[in-house]
Amino acid sequence: MMVSPLVARGAGERTWRIVLLAVLALSSVGPMLLLAIWSVSGAWFFPALLPHTVTLVAWRSAIGSHALASALGTSTVLAVGTALIACAVAVPFGQQLARLAGWRRHVGAAAAFLPVAAPPLALGTGLQVAALAAGLGGTLPGVLLAHLVPAVGYLSLLFLGTFTLLDARPAEAARTLGASSWQAWWRVTLPQLRRPIAEAATIGFLVSWTQFALTLVVGAGAVRTLPLEVFAYVQAGEDRVAAVGALLLIIPPVLAMAALRWAALRTEVLPA
Amino acid sequence: MSRDAPLAAHAVNRRRGKSAGLLAAALLAAPVLVGLAYAIGASLGVVAAANDSQPSLARIARVLGERATWDSVLWTLWVAASATGLAVVGAVAVAVAFRGHARGDRVGRALAALPLPMPHLVAGMLGVWLLGQSGIAARAAFALGLIVRPAEMPPLVYDRLGVGLVLTLAWKEMAFLAIVSSALLATRGAAAEEAARTLGASPWETFRRVTWPLLWRGLAPAVVAVFVFVAGNYEAAALLAPSDPLALPLLVAQRATDPDLARHADAYVASVLLLVIASAAVAAHEWVRARWEPFVP
Repeated sequence: MMVSPLVARGAGERTWRIVLLAVLALSSVGPMLLLAIWSVSGAWFFPALLPHTVTLVAWRSAIGSHALASALGTSTVLAVGTALIACAVAVPFGQQLARLAGWRRHVGAAAAFLPVAAPPLALGTGLQVAALAAGLGGTLPGVLLAHLVPAVGYLSLLFLGTFTLLDARPAEAARTLGASSWQAWWRVTLPQLRRPIAEAATIGFLVSWTQFALTLVVGAGAVRTLPLEVFAYVQAGEDRVAAVGALLLIIPPVLAMAALRWAALRTEVLPA
Repeated sequence: MSRDAPLAAHAVNRRRGKSAGLLAAALLAAPVLVGLAYAIGASLGVVAAANDSQPSLARIARVLGERATWDSVLWTLWVAASATGLAVVGAVAVAVAFRGHARGDRVGRALAALPLPMPHLVAGMLGVWLLGQSGIAARAAFALGLIVRPAEMPPLVYDRLGVGLVLTLAWKEMAFLAIVSSALLATRGAAAEEAARTLGASPWETFRRVTWPLLWRGLAPAVVAVFVFVAGNYEAAALLAPSDPLALPLLVAQRATDPDLARHADAYVASVLLLVIASAAVAAHEWVRARWEPFVP
């Protein structure tokens, strides 16, 4: 194969790549390490770069904390519920949006983008009044509905893209061979969508899992999720317990991302 | 459907498709529009009013007449624009530097994507611990002999320019933009770039006239999304932003909990302003895309 001028690299470019790799490693892995060190640090005063002593006090107090355990449960229920419901709603929404053409398509895409772009605090301020009117203010179902607003928007955009690129010929062939439209959807289209649905469920989970302002406003402080508890620890100056909570917050998303990447590598036809 | 399906049935299907698509669009936009309607209603004193007896524009006029409101809007736009700009520069540099299939390229792309699932709240906490006056950056400066006391460290957190907030959000959002940029470079552009190089363009000319225009169009939706995420983020601002001027989301929260009860509904006016900024960004983006569409390769 001919070596393209873009692939041929000079010494300058190689140095620049190594520097950039080092900076990326420091800026991506460093913060996670910092959280881990912080969570086990004892006394740690300026100008020490590392803690003077190491202790598991924060971990013990986090594990023994009823508030943190209950927040972890609430966050899990909300995130799993949001992922499942948002997928079920967004698949047909994305499919219908993908059928639009011309100006209607721009309106459809903008409509799906709107709940994603609406700042959670501003969205929550308006939705809170609606939730109160419906008797859902400060309740778990109310917060779930609020989390669904951005999640359904995200996933509809995702499925709009998926259905735009989806090869419709297998489903058409099934129809020609006598399958009903429901059979063609269930046995041909849905299996084609397995990977986008797995990705969408992960994104739906993350939208709810990391949600802060919507929970705060619509939950009216009565629905306590993990981010709310972590924020409370930061504000109370309990940085070490907050670091433990922050690790609990980032471990599931990192695992989910790694699982997705692994699945993508296993099923990808093109080299990753 | 086979190609020789009766045209009439096809036309009926297409019409049905259109109305179902527009119905989906209406349902998607509805919660935001309902929220906006309630916030406008509350700004006017029509709904959720504590003391106002009849609708009036007085509250909106008062809030819009306050200097603090516009300082807050401008400061929020400044933070959003600078954090987004920095994130775009970083993301494009990563995508261009690590666009190949070698091990180093894959490691570079994976490292850049790592902060993606980091919640803004955790990013904000890390921002304080890293950039605060006795944070890790200050300790590193001490180790290098640049400062002796924490007070000598330039304030990057709670500072008027919002440097700490801008850097933290740029770092957090760069991961998303790097993934999108890498995907764009992987799927388009290589042939056009090689043609440009073969025709004698320098690497910089190739980047400026081929790579960047391709990237920019594909990146536009992600850039708009990042801009509105940064502008609307509450928790990172609550941890890193100064109290004067207030970031717009903090202004909403502050008015909602103001000791003066009569000011509580001012939060609805401020939240309408936030929603207007986000909607304007989305509308501008769709408008630009609609203009570009015929030219997109």
